[in-house]
Amino acid sequence: MTISKDHIGGLVFLCLSVAYGYYTGDIPLLPGDEFAPFNAQSLPSALAVLGGILSVALIVTADRSAEGRVKLAGYDFWLVGKLLVLVMLLGFVLPWLGFLLSTILFLMGGYWILGVRKVKTLLLASVPFSVVLWFMLAQLLDIYLAPGRIFTSLFGG
Amino acid sequence: MWDGILTGLGTAVMPFNLLMVVVGCFAGTFIGMLPGLGPISAVALMIPVTYGLDPASGIILMAGVYYGAVFGGSTSSILVNAPGCASTVVTAFDGFPLAQKNQAGKALALAAYSSFTGGTIGALILLFAAPALASVSLSFQSGDYFALMLLGLTAVAAFSGKGQVIKALLMTIFGLMIATVGTDITSGATRFTFGSVDLIDGVSFLLLAMATFALTEVIMTVMRGQHAEEEPEMDMASLGSMKLSKEEIKEVAPTIGRSSVFGFLVGVLPGAGATIASFMAYGLERNLASAKEKLKFGKGSLRGLAAPESANNAASTGSFVPLLTLGIPGSGTTAIMLGALIAYGIQPGPRLFVDNPDVFWSVIISMYFGNLVLLILNLPLIPYISRLLAIPRPILIPLILFFSITGVYLVSFNTFDIYMMVFITLGAIFLKLLEFPMAPMLLGFILGGIMEKNLGRALTMSDGSFAFLWDRPLTLTITTIAAIVLLLPLLSAMFGKMRGRGLEVTVKEGEG
Repeated sequence: MTISKDHIGGLVFLCLSVAYGYYTGDIPLLPGDEFAPFNAQSLPSALAVLGGILSVALIVTADRSAEGRVKLAGYDFWLVGKLLVLVMLLGFVLPWLGFLLSTILFLMGGYWILGVRKVKTLLLASVPFSVVLWFMLAQLLDIYLAPGRIFTSLFGG
Repeated sequence: MWDGILTGLGTAVMPFNLLMVVVGCFAGTFIGMLPGLGPISAVALMIPVTYGLDPASGIILMAGVYYGAVFGGSTSSILVNAPGCASTVVTAFDGFPLAQKNQAGKALALAAYSSFTGGTIGALILLFAAPALASVSLSFQSGDYFALMLLGLTAVAAFSGKGQVIKALLMTIFGLMIATVGTDITSGATRFTFGSVDLIDGVSFLLLAMATFALTEVIMTVMRGQHAEEEPEMDMASLGSMKLSKEEIKEVAPTIGRSSVFGFLVGVLPGAGATIASFMAYGLERNLASAKEKLKFGKGSLRGLAAPESANNAASTGSFVPLLTLGIPGSGTTAIMLGALIAYGIQPGPRLFVDNPDVFWSVIISMYFGNLVLLILNLPLIPYISRLLAIPRPILIPLILFFSITGVYLVSFNTFDIYMMVFITLGAIFLKLLEFPMAPMLLGFILGGIMEKNLGRALTMSDGSFAFLWDRPLTLTITTIAAIVLLLPLLSAMFGKMRGRGLEVTVKEGEG
C-alpha cells in the first residue's frame, strides 16, 4: 500500500486530536460549571471530536496515486537546519550580548551559511545596517533595548 | 453616511496618513516582487511597524502594502515570468509574452491602468455597499455572529480547491485548537499551558502570522535552493513605450469594466480572494472572446492581461467588505488585518461603522488614494524599484529572517517567542510539505476567541439548546448557507463526484 501525504497528514492530525482530547479533561472547571450549558471544556471537546472525524475522513479518502507520495528530493534540509539553529542562537545570545552585537553576529552568520565568504561583504552588509537600526530604535523611537548581561556584569549597569 | 465620508476623508488626507499610503504602496510593491513572498507575508511583516501607530494609520499602511504587493507581483510576472504571489500567476499568461515582444512597458502600463480601474470601481462599490451591509448587520445577535463565523470558516475551506477541502477544514480546526491555548476569558481557567507561564496569555497572533508566513516562506525558499539561483535579468532598456493606442483602449475598456465588477463580487465572498477572482475573470474573458480572439490568449492578448489585473485588485477591495462590516475576513491577507485590528482593541464588524467611523471610512477612502499612488508614483518608478531586486538573495534572506524575528521580539522582549517561532516554523514546513494550506489555520486562530465567546453566550441564553441556529430567519439563512458551502464540496471530495471538474485553483499560502 502506498503511504501518501494525505495518509501521513491524517495520522498526524488523528494523534493530535486524540492528545488534544485527552488533555481537554485536564482543564479545571469552576464548581457547578459541569452543569452549565457551556464551559471551558465545551469547545475543546467539540474540536477534538471534529478533528478526529476529519482526520479519519482524510485517511479514508487519501490520494493513493504516485503523485500523492511525499517527495523529499531536491530539498536542502541541512541548510534549513543550520539557519534555524542560527535563529535559536539569536534567541540565546540576545539577553547576553545585547541587541546590537547579536544582530551583527546573526546577520554575518546568515550570510556565511548562505555562501557569502568575502569578509568585506560580511561586515559591510551587517555592521552599518545593525548600527542604523539600533540607532533608530533606541535613539529615535526611544525603545529601551537592554544592554547585554555580559556587559552589565563586567562594567556594571 | 456623508458625515462619515467627511470624517474618513479628514483622516485619510492627514499628511501622515497620506505618507503611510505612499510608504505602504512602495514597501508592498518591493516585497510583492520577491518570488515566494505574497501579500500575506508583506502585510505580516508590517504588523510590528503598525503597533506604534494609531489604528487608522496602521490599517491604512497595511492596506497600502496589500495593493502594493499585488501590483509588485504583477510586475515580476510580466517582466520575468516569476509571479510574486498566486493572484498574479494569470497575469504572466499574457503579460510575459508581451514582454518578450518588447512590449513590457505597454504590459506594465495596462496592468497599472487595469489595477487602478479595478481598485477604483471596487472602492466605489465598497463606499455604498459597506455601510448598507453594516446597518443591516447592526441587528445581529450572538447566534448570528456564531453562524457568520461558521460561514467564514467553512467558506475558506470550501474555496480551497479540488482535493484540499478536508485538509483546509483540518487546518481550520487546528487554528481553533491553537486559539484555545491560554487563559479562558469566561472562566479564567488555564487551558493546554502545561504549566508554562509563557503560554498563559496564549499564542500571540503576531508570532503565529510571522512564523507561518514570513519565516516559513523564506525558509522554504532556502530549502528549494532558490537562494542560490541567479537573479533574473530585467532589461529595463527594452521596456518599450508605455502608451496605449485609442483602439487598444477601446478593446480593453469593456473587459476592465466587467472584470472589475466580477472581481469585486468574488472578493466579497468570504474565503474566495484575489487568486480565484483572477483565474475566473481570465476564464470568463476567454469564453466571451470571439474564436479569433481566443487564439491570442496566452500569446500576449491585451484582454487576457487586463481581465485578471482588474479582477484581482477589485477582489482585494471586495475582501474588505466582509472584514469591515461583519468582522469576517474575505482572504488570508484580510485575516491578518483582522488580527491586527483586534490587537488594537478594535472589534471589526457592524459596530466598527458606528464606534470607529474614522477607521471605517478612512480605510475605504485611502484605498482610492492607494490606487492613485500605484498609478502615478509606482508605475514610472518601476525600473528603479525593481533594481532593489538586484540585492543578492544570500544578503536579502537573512535580512528578511531578521525582520520577522525582531518584529515579534520587539513587541514582547521575550526570547521564548523566538524559540516558539522556530518550533511553529518547523511544524509549518512539515505541513507545507504535506500540502496543507496555511491560511485556514490562521483564520481559525483569529476567529477562535470571538467564535467561542458568541457560541457560549448564545448557548447560555438558549439554555444549552442549539435551536438558536434556526429560531430566527436571519440565523437560519446564514446557517443554511454555511451548511451548503460546507457539505457540497465535502461530499464531492469524499465521494469523488467532482473529480476532474470544479475549480483548478488551489488556495496556496501567500495568496491574497
